[in-house]
Amino acid sequence: MVPNPDQPTGPEAKPFIGLAKTFTPEDEAALRESLKRCSPSTFEAAVQYRRTGNPEHVPAVVIGVIERFVEPDLRVKLKEADDDLRLIDDLGVDSLTMMEIVVLVEDVLTMTINNDELRNLRTVGDVKLFIDCKIRGLPLPKPTKFLPVEQIVGVMPIQPPFLFLNEASVSSSGANAKYKITGQEFFLQGHFKDNPVMPASIMLEALGQLGVLFLLEGIATEQGKVVSPSTIFFTGCEGVRAHRICRPGDILSISIKPKRTKMPLATFEGSIRVGQEKAAIVEEFTLTFGLEDAATVTPLVRLPVVPAPTSITGLGQVANGTGPNA
Amino acid sequence: MPKVYITGLGFITSIGNDRASVTNSLRTLQHGFEHYAPFQGPEVPVKIAAPVRGFQLDSTDPEDWTFPAGYTIKREVLRGMSPNAVYSWCAMQQAIADARLTDAEVSNRHTGLYAASGGSPFLMGHMLHRMHTQGIMKCSPLGIVASIAGTLNFNLVAHFRIKGASGGFSSACASSSHALGFAYDELALGRQKRMFVVGAEDGNLDAILPFASMRALSLQTDPNLASRPFDTGRDGFVGTGGAVVLVLETEDEVARRGVPVYCEVAGWGQASDGHNVAISHPDGQGLAAAIQLALEATATPVEAVDYVNAHATSTPIGDTSEARALKSIFRPPTTRPAISSTKAITGHGLSLAGAMESGFCALAIRDGFMPGSAHITNLDPECDGLNIIRSTLSAQPRVVLNNVSGFGGANVSLVFKQA
Repeated sequence: MVPNPDQPTGPEAKPFIGLAKTFTPEDEAALRESLKRCSPSTFEAAVQYRRTGNPEHVPAVVIGVIERFVEPDLRVKLKEADDDLRLIDDLGVDSLTMMEIVVLVEDVLTMTINNDELRNLRTVGDVKLFIDCKIRGLPLPKPTKFLPVEQIVGVMPIQPPFLFLNEASVSSSGANAKYKITGQEFFLQGHFKDNPVMPASIMLEALGQLGVLFLLEGIATEQGKVVSPSTIFFTGCEGVRAHRICRPGDILSISIKPKRTKMPLATFEGSIRVGQEKAAIVEEFTLTFGLEDAATVTPLVRLPVVPAPTSITGLGQVANGTGPNA
Repeated sequence: MPKVYITGLGFITSIGNDRASVTNSLRTLQHGFEHYAPFQGPEVPVKIAAPVRGFQLDSTDPEDWTFPAGYTIKREVLRGMSPNAVYSWCAMQQAIADARLTDAEVSNRHTGLYAASGGSPFLMGHMLHRMHTQGIMKCSPLGIVASIAGTLNFNLVAHFRIKGASGGFSSACASSSHALGFAYDELALGRQKRMFVVGAEDGNLDAILPFASMRALSLQTDPNLASRPFDTGRDGFVGTGGAVVLVLETEDEVARRGVPVYCEVAGWGQASDGHNVAISHPDGQGLAAAIQLALEATATPVEAVDYVNAHATSTPIGDTSEARALKSIFRPPTTRPAISSTKAITGHGLSLAGAMESGFCALAIRDGFMPGSAHITNLDPECDGLNIIRSTLSAQPRVVLNNVSGFGGANVSLVFKQA
């Protein structure tokens, strides 16, 4: 039985690690002054946190503080509750604004954040997770890693012209990528005649490729071992549905989240959007993978590579999945 | 050497926040003094100041600040600003519009900016207090940028995307004349084509009251008597703030753009007293030398000078010193130039003074008037033989001198000529 998290059961009860000391009316007045430019709900969440120490109130405080420092015309993005929003690129937060955010978060949550801990916080989700771990006294998470196409090409066994990831971000909780359909893809010459449409099988392929990248960059393996790029293959998928015809010029927003990972199988859910429109979802797809000693790994390509113009070469390693519309 | 002209002006001052109202105040000798609210407590011996109107910048949190209609400053710009940076940001907008400069003409490697302010004692005090009471890491990350003496050039160079020469000058009340003089040099030496010159001060309690203990401020309670340079009853200066921006351009740039000019900046001279850390030389030796050098540098005969905008701040010692310096230069039988101190209506702008009064000189030359020296009832006998004009003359001066003297005995004299 779980007690109401906001109601300590007795005067001496101290259910949460964050509850360091009593919260006086003076503290509340100071908190109100500190948060005077934040939404009322931010202040309310901060009061609840300071009264109870319940970390569940922290995300609302953190988002409220970030919102207060973001230019008004960009604030609407925060309403989308997208943890992948990038502080710099999407919200215009520079390093000085980040410091302002930190000073205010430190102040209202009565915590201390070190400079070097800040450097890895790239997305709203990073900030929320980081502060949550700090408050719960948990080890700090691995930061989200951003990979431009040069780095993706450097680590992936799949290469142009069959690589459908232009840029990607990988964290321990999942991965996101973008791919712009250029119209120069070789298969669009025939799919379809005088009517280029991105094959659904290739959209499934793009999801699979992001799964490969996640296995190579995102999962924690046993000490001294890494996932071997040459051992990853597609095994199956379920619940694949295409919702939107995608054509040259569309930018695919590709997302996957791991559902189960147990050697030698990793199962993901995945989705592709174009803007706010759902383009495809996959309830489940599974990749198989193997490990090798970290020392034996030789990088595939470590130099920046400009994606080659399309030409008809071999198929990719991962997917032979057949989408319903292909 | 190319000639240098003033092509644009911007004013945020105690006597007006635009060119038209400043000109009107200078012509009619309307002063900007009032019983300044922050001075009205019984513990403050000084009562009068000349605040800038239309701005509300008395919070330590820039997001509380308000501006006159027409000026909006984004939070990310505002957060590193001092009050004097805000004033200068607005004066920059005016000067850029006045000089009809495009964004590209403002931001290129041939356009620079020299600035002068005393920083922001107000925000510095707030930051240090917070540091000592709340903790070192609890200060605003940009507190230092907003408060030290370079705050003007830091802010303006970044926000107006200045790519040419930049820097700040720190010679107290001579600062913005030094900025103007060295900006002239940049243009005359062919190193830049265009220079912004900015003088600014917070002009609030923390900027003004530290001068009280050295007995430099007027203790008068009547706004009409507090600032009266060259009057026997003068008892100190009245503090003011704000910002003035001048746009200086080479003759080639003026011809290329085909814009009207206010006047020529003919040249300048500077010399130091080498005498006292805060008190002018009793005979104004350094100032006289600066004037002499300025006249020589610009090949100006003494008798050609029509008008002198004096530094005279309304302090007993300083005004006497300047009167003696002027008498040593403008001796009979040469024509005596008209002399006035516009500080009688504006108050003393410290680092702002040189730029502000140079702006006044430019208006006087272009619009054809010489502002009078207001509030004189009993002219100091030290001024005998000087033509101190007590009311505004409707005559166009062709050659104008602007003097400043700063702490440490720094003296600068600038020469402006009808174009």
